[in-house]
Amino acid sequence: MAKRSYDLLFKLLLIGDSGVGKTCILFRFSDDAFNTTFISTIGIDFKIKTIELKGKKIKLQIWDTAGQERFHTITTSYYRGAMGIMLVYDITQPKSFDNIAKWLRNIEEHANEDVEKMLLGNKCDMEDRRAISRERGEDIARQHGIRFLETSAKANINVERAFYELSEAILDKGPNKDKIPEAQPLPKPRSELSKCCN
Amino acid sequence: MAFAGRSVELKRILESENIGLKEFREACFQGLDEAGLRPKCWRILLNCLPPQPARWSETLASQRKSYQQWVQELIIYPGEGQDDEEQRHDITQDDHPLNPNPQSNWSAYFKDNEVLLQIDKDARRLYPDMCFFQRPTDYPVKMDASGNITAAEYLRKRIDRCVLKSAAVVKNRSGGWNISGVSRKRTEYENLSESEEAHWEVVERLLFIYAKLNPGQAYVQGMNEIIGPIYYTFSTDKDETFREHAEADTFLCFTNLMGEIRDRFIKHLDESASGIVSSMNNLMDLLKSTDHVLWTCLEGMDLKPQYYSFRWLTLMLSQEFALPEVLRLWDSLFADAERFDFLLYICCSMLVLIRDQLLEGDFATSMKLLQNYPNPDIHKILVKATQLRKSRQIATGGSVTGIMIG
Ligand SMILES: Nc1nc2c(ncn2[C@@H]2O[C@H](COP(=O)(O)OP(=O)(O)OP(=O)(O)O)[C@@H](O)[C@H]2O)c(=O)[nH]1
Ligand SMILES: [Mg+2]
Repeated sequence: MAKRSYDLLFKLLLIGDSGVGKTCILFRFSDDAFNTTFISTIGIDFKIKTIELKGKKIKLQIWDTAGQERFHTITTSYYRGAMGIMLVYDITQPKSFDNIAKWLRNIEEHANEDVEKMLLGNKCDMEDRRAISRERGEDIARQHGIRFLETSAKANINVERAFYELSEAILDKGPNKDKIPEAQPLPKPRSELSKCCN
Repeated sequence: MAFAGRSVELKRILESENIGLKEFREACFQGLDEAGLRPKCWRILLNCLPPQPARWSETLASQRKSYQQWVQELIIYPGEGQDDEEQRHDITQDDHPLNPNPQSNWSAYFKDNEVLLQIDKDARRLYPDMCFFQRPTDYPVKMDASGNITAAEYLRKRIDRCVLKSAAVVKNRSGGWNISGVSRKRTEYENLSESEEAHWEVVERLLFIYAKLNPGQAYVQGMNEIIGPIYYTFSTDKDETFREHAEADTFLCFTNLMGEIRDRFIKHLDESASGIVSSMNNLMDLLKSTDHVLWTCLEGMDLKPQYYSFRWLTLMLSQEFALPEVLRLWDSLFADAERFDFLLYICCSMLVLIRDQLLEGDFATSMKLLQNYPNPDIHKILVKATQLRKSRQIATGGSVTGIMIG
């Protein structure tokens, strides 16, 4: 327990409509594999992965939420502690793209003001069924001043990059990271707090 | 009592003219893994069969007939008065967002399609580790005399149509509509012919009919995980005369069960006495009085009950264990007269049984443990749960009522 295994702890959150591939993206990142069928996420799922960035060991605590409206009261309680949020849509499902505005409103209402955001257009391996062009994704991201990538959990495109870029953005904020411990209503055991401060 | 002795006992109970429910529940509580009695017993426990076997055939016949009618009305002929297939399809295709017509039957049809698409996503994702749900059923619902078209084909077409439509009619940035010719490959259905239906498609139909008949809840994610084990149990019945009616009987049992637990699926009831938030609070109260040290530890880590018990309680633990274990657990749960109270004791015993690991771990390891419950020994969990209940009843001065594991 006493051994320090990482320098920083970042909390990330995955949100977006049901079926856009949040769980698959997380699974691709944490286990480097793809499963065509995943059970639907009920409530919230949780994974840990430690990465190295600019010479620092960073432990990512990633929360994967359920997409259906019914779960919003349960899932919005996780927004507050998140330092980075990935908003995912499905490039073959216009509805999931139309809902981006709604998800951004959720972030505004429930997350910390300085949370780092990233928009992901997933399933980009399905060119033949694409309904949302890459440009439209870029445009809406630009309008809201957030990062954007098209990803595929299936073909392993940009998934790792997405997590690294989001983590780097959080890291680059620099001074903020010292405030992290007190500002976190999300669970953090005392033993871990002391680890990241020395 | 030994396994063999138990199933003999259960068979004797089932043969009586008027099944003594107390005795019957006690026998079921011990588990129904042997002798293929689970499907019959669950039907009785979930009020699909009355305790008088003489009334069974008549009861079943009328229930199954109503279900058949719902399939006809809600799946085959969803647009009232539109019995000409050609015409129906044309009208559906007109009802795209360019042409919203609130007066039309089709705006309701359109709304239903959203529900159907969500069900479709989840029915496909049901027990992905098992091949059962991907395999064709032996009892598809046949729509024509030659048996070449099945009811599933109607939903397949409908899903294809609305996926295609939503892909083809896309709002562009300036607020106008782009109509692009995106076609959808039918790869998903390639392995099944029109005369076959996969088990997951049967589940899809069941959930869609339930959603239509219960518009207040419609479909909520997780219902698939409640109906899945029931349908599996009925459609693997060794008794063919029952197996062939798995679909209709599942519908009734699921409807009855949902009658008891539906409040947990309804967002605006979250905070009510029967809602999910209250259930989670009750679980924490129970843990607090059972194992104060563990409760304090979880509180200290800020490991909230929503992080794990939301799923435990909503799905009655169906996502926590492999299917055979879920079935065994549900035997006791369904058999218990206070079944949802007993579920709290089961969840509490699951926490207590891994207390040492939880007390030792930090937030992340504890979260992982609770989200992937380790080495589930269902028997041990149940024994512990009945003990907890008993000592709690004694401690609060109540009478000791619950069934114990023999
Ligand atoms: N072709 C393709 N399919 C994908 C990809 N990612 C996910 N899928 C499919 O999309 C389906 C849904 O993926 P999930 O990860 O379960 O979706 P989710 O966003 O977690 O959904 P909820 O848990 O219901 O909120 C899966 O059955 C996958 O087969 C992708 O990159 N490419
Ligand atoms: Mg998911």
